[in-house]
Amino acid sequence: MADQKKILIIEDDKFLLKLYSDKLSREGFLVSMAISGEEGLGKVKQEKPDLVLLDVILPQKNGFDILGALKLDPETKDVPVVMLTNLGQESDIKTGLDLGAADYLVKTDFSITKLPEVVRKHIAIHGAAKNPISS
Amino acid sequence: MPDKQLTREETTQRITEVTSVISHQLKTPLAGIKSSLEILLSGDLGEISVKQREYLALALDGSNKMIGLIKNLLDASRIDEGRMQLTSAPTDIGALAKTVVDDLITFAQAKNTTLSITLEENLPKTSVDAVKIHEVISNLVYNAIRYSKGKGTVVVAVRRDGHDILFSCADTGIGIGEGDKNKIFSKFYRSPNVSALAPDGSGLGLYISKAIVEKSGGKIWFESVEGKGSTFSFSLPIQ
Repeated sequence: MADQKKILIIEDDKFLLKLYSDKLSREGFLVSMAISGEEGLGKVKQEKPDLVLLDVILPQKNGFDILGALKLDPETKDVPVVMLTNLGQESDIKTGLDLGAADYLVKTDFSITKLPEVVRKHIAIHGAAKNPISS
Repeated sequence: MPDKQLTREETTQRITEVTSVISHQLKTPLAGIKSSLEILLSGDLGEISVKQREYLALALDGSNKMIGLIKNLLDASRIDEGRMQLTSAPTDIGALAKTVVDDLITFAQAKNTTLSITLEENLPKTSVDAVKIHEVISNLVYNAIRYSKGKGTVVVAVRRDGHDILFSCADTGIGIGEGDKNKIFSKFYRSPNVSALAPDGSGLGLYISKAIVEKSGGKIWFESVEGKGSTFSFSLPIQ
């Protein structure tokens, strides 16, 4: 499929990784996975996904560090990143959004059935920002 | 080598730390269980029978309750450790109360309880953490409905009282016994009449609500007559 969108999921819990990747694959996305911060960072650069789903508590490098690194790198700064974590304190959410996350979802509060919709929305917003329609 | 004898404070601190760690660890598998049940219920993996749907919905309800309990345990740990964080912004308490009432109207109907709200017009805003105050209001209104017996009435009101915004929630429920009145805001405390009516509560809701209101610069209190009903109120300063 020519316009199949690529999603990279950076998540160290294999149970959740399978659930999220299966759900997005069933919805027609091309899914790639990483189970550590370092691996995830490398895959964003290599694979240039259309969107990254990023956990916070990860081995090696945490999600906020990864997000910060992605937003500093001219090659990756425009890739939309949606945080998907169980850290749901107001201060955590603020940190994520201040660092440039497109959205911040708390796993236990969020319904997985809405995941494809959220992913599509942010890919569309990003696409519109990249290719504005001139009047 | 066995630990040295811990002081009462050290023991409490250790319990709080362990509770916090275990609660965080439980959230990840619970998120997985909840998501699996949601996928099955959505029909994503094929059609399910009415009976299967009923059982899966019960399991989802159970996992949501566990998630709620874990959140309360984490909130209580943060309160005990002095780590509760509030992010204040100008907030319309009346609008928050209206949202809670709208969200709980179906629950009230299912409990044969009439739920209504009275809002004073043009209420000034208060500088509070809207998410946390929403949690307090939800907790008070939910309790009022939950502890109703027979055909009950719950009236929520928000008005100005001098330099404060005053929230109240009056019910015609089971009320609080004289012997329980000084313990009602204690951590894990549940009065015997409440436990008999709803055995599955944690006894953390009012403890957390009190901490949130007081940290926001307000006061929380109640008046109650056993067998007749209770009115829980809180005030927050207008800034």
